[in-house]
Amino acid sequence: MRRLLIGALVIAVLAWAAWRWMHPPSGPAATGDSKPDSVSTGFKAVRLYFAAPSGDSLIGESRELAEAQSLHERVAALVGELDRGSSGSGLAALPAGTSVLRVYLDDRGLMTLDLSRAFQQGFHGGSSAEYLATASLVRTIGANLPEVKRVLLVCGGAPIASLGGHLPLDRPIEVSELP
Amino acid sequence: MSGRRTVRWLGVWLLALASIGAGAPAGTRGAPPRRDAAAAADMVALARAQGPEGAPTRVLDGEVVIGANDLARLLDATKFWRADVRKLVLRTHDHRILLTADNPFVLVDDATLRLPSPVRSFKGELQVPVALVDSLPRDSLIARLLFDPSRRVVLQVPPGGVVGAPRLALEDGGTRLVFAVDRPGGAWIAARSRAHFRVHFSGFFAGALPDTLPEASLVRAVRLLPSVAGSVFEFELSPRAAGFRLVREPAAGQVALVFTDREREDFEAFAPEGPPGPRALKVVVLDPGHGGSEAGAAAAGLVEKDLTLSLARVLKIEIERRLAVRVVLTREDDRDLSLDQRAERANRARADLVLSLHFDGFTGPGARGATAYCPPATFGSSLASERMAPSGAIAVLPWRDVATRHAVRSRELAEDLLSSLDLRGQGPTRLREILPCPLLGVNAPGLMLECATLTSDADRERLQREGALNELAASIVEGIEAYRRGE
Repeated sequence: MRRLLIGALVIAVLAWAAWRWMHPPSGPAATGDSKPDSVSTGFKAVRLYFAAPSGDSLIGESRELAEAQSLHERVAALVGELDRGSSGSGLAALPAGTSVLRVYLDDRGLMTLDLSRAFQQGFHGGSSAEYLATASLVRTIGANLPEVKRVLLVCGGAPIASLGGHLPLDRPIEVSELP
Repeated sequence: MSGRRTVRWLGVWLLALASIGAGAPAGTRGAPPRRDAAAAADMVALARAQGPEGAPTRVLDGEVVIGANDLARLLDATKFWRADVRKLVLRTHDHRILLTADNPFVLVDDATLRLPSPVRSFKGELQVPVALVDSLPRDSLIARLLFDPSRRVVLQVPPGGVVGAPRLALEDGGTRLVFAVDRPGGAWIAARSRAHFRVHFSGFFAGALPDTLPEASLVRAVRLLPSVAGSVFEFELSPRAAGFRLVREPAAGQVALVFTDREREDFEAFAPEGPPGPRALKVVVLDPGHGGSEAGAAAAGLVEKDLTLSLARVLKIEIERRLAVRVVLTREDDRDLSLDQRAERANRARADLVLSLHFDGFTGPGARGATAYCPPATFGSSLASERMAPSGAIAVLPWRDVATRHAVRSRELAEDLLSSLDLRGQGPTRLREILPCPLLGVNAPGLMLECATLTSDADRERLQREGALNELAASIVEGIEAYRRGE
């Protein structure tokens, strides 16, 4: 009987030790809160720029998005929201169906943004539409990713000279040079 | 201004917050520094300047509070809401702020703060006493916030810091403007024409521009232009100004902009202007936009490539009749023409002026009128080349950008043309300083003119009237005449 009790006690101690090893104590004691916040989805405000109805300028709009982890996810989410359109008086300036294929960012702040073919093929209009599409994209990226200083737009993995033949896209666009 | 001064300004706002009841309970960080009325006035000016990001506050039970959503937006933080324990976590980089509903205790990283009143829920959103903004960490990983009690808004101090009001001093043979700035390295020359000389600063302008300038100053006027990031000042300079120099002084926390009226090797030159007065005009090149497989914009039966060609033909006759100059068209019929071919034809004709004709299209209900695109007066001083080339090094201007050599005259042409269109009721007009595709490799003053907006009902109706293209051509010729007179 005594041996049985000692055996049960040893098993219980070993089981407790194993459980503690697999479930280490967590969370700051100050809050009494044991849930790490990374288990839930976080939301973040972003600033989007759409075209003004007059075609003269851009209109800023704030929106909340689920937190994106990677650079690609963040940029894709921003472009997705620009494509979805404004919830206010602004107008979507990006050609419909534009999405992000790849994103590269170098250590000097140059972002190379590879967009889907819809960006080029879906474009219709004149120089104002072209200016606003580019400005909407570059300003939105600059406002939400301060580490980006310049943006080079490419399409389907290939460089593009221009969207509609009016404004050159063969070189990176300085975020701060846009009016 | 120095970082020390900025810290002092922020300190003043800490005090302002304390004065509205934030108090300094045990366990909170930092003590409010001394009040400085002048510095406070500067910060109010900052708040009223061209607008750092801000958010409104409200008063709940006598306490000034800010919505947690706005707080997260200003801090660029991600929100995690735990409904079971009614806690909201704001996470930005390595910092973590834990707010609990109906609780005055806030956990900021590893420190517990006691706010003057509890965080409370109002209309489904947590409301946080603004006292919190003073207790947030001060490092580069979290946005600096401040509360402006006069307007009851919480503002985000921009990463570029602030730019103080310029101090002007007359020197022997020159004029010196000194700007106190947080980041002297963020200053660069954005345009170097005398009429529109522009300097870009990465910070936001906090202060006032001088109402009047001394008679002897080489600076005739200073304006603040709207900008996406930072501040842009535009100077109108005297024709006596012969050169300029931008001196960044990080140790002193200032940037000096010096203009001289003498030819000096250690000063940079302005963009070329050509002699004042009437201009010789012998050859005008008209470039009808698009053509062949490239139709351009189209609306209700009007197609851009056809309209540009028709207008070019009418305009050729009108210019030859009224100005007695030779006119060359880059295309005489409906054909594809590359940008290189267009530039080659303009350069081969030794054009004194190139006008690329277009018609705009944008589906916005209010979009109408004419737009001119002219090359910016960067002339080798673009941000990219400034970053790459050390001060004083020779900047190589790619042939692609050769039109920027003629930026000053191109802008004058644009202003004359747009003014003429406006006067004849063919506006509204707008000017964009961007080097357009049709001017790539063009070695002459010129611009791309969107003569009207095809997607606008009003513009389309005007263009479909009899003699509409003749009216448009007459306006353009008047603009060219004004340019030739040197007005």
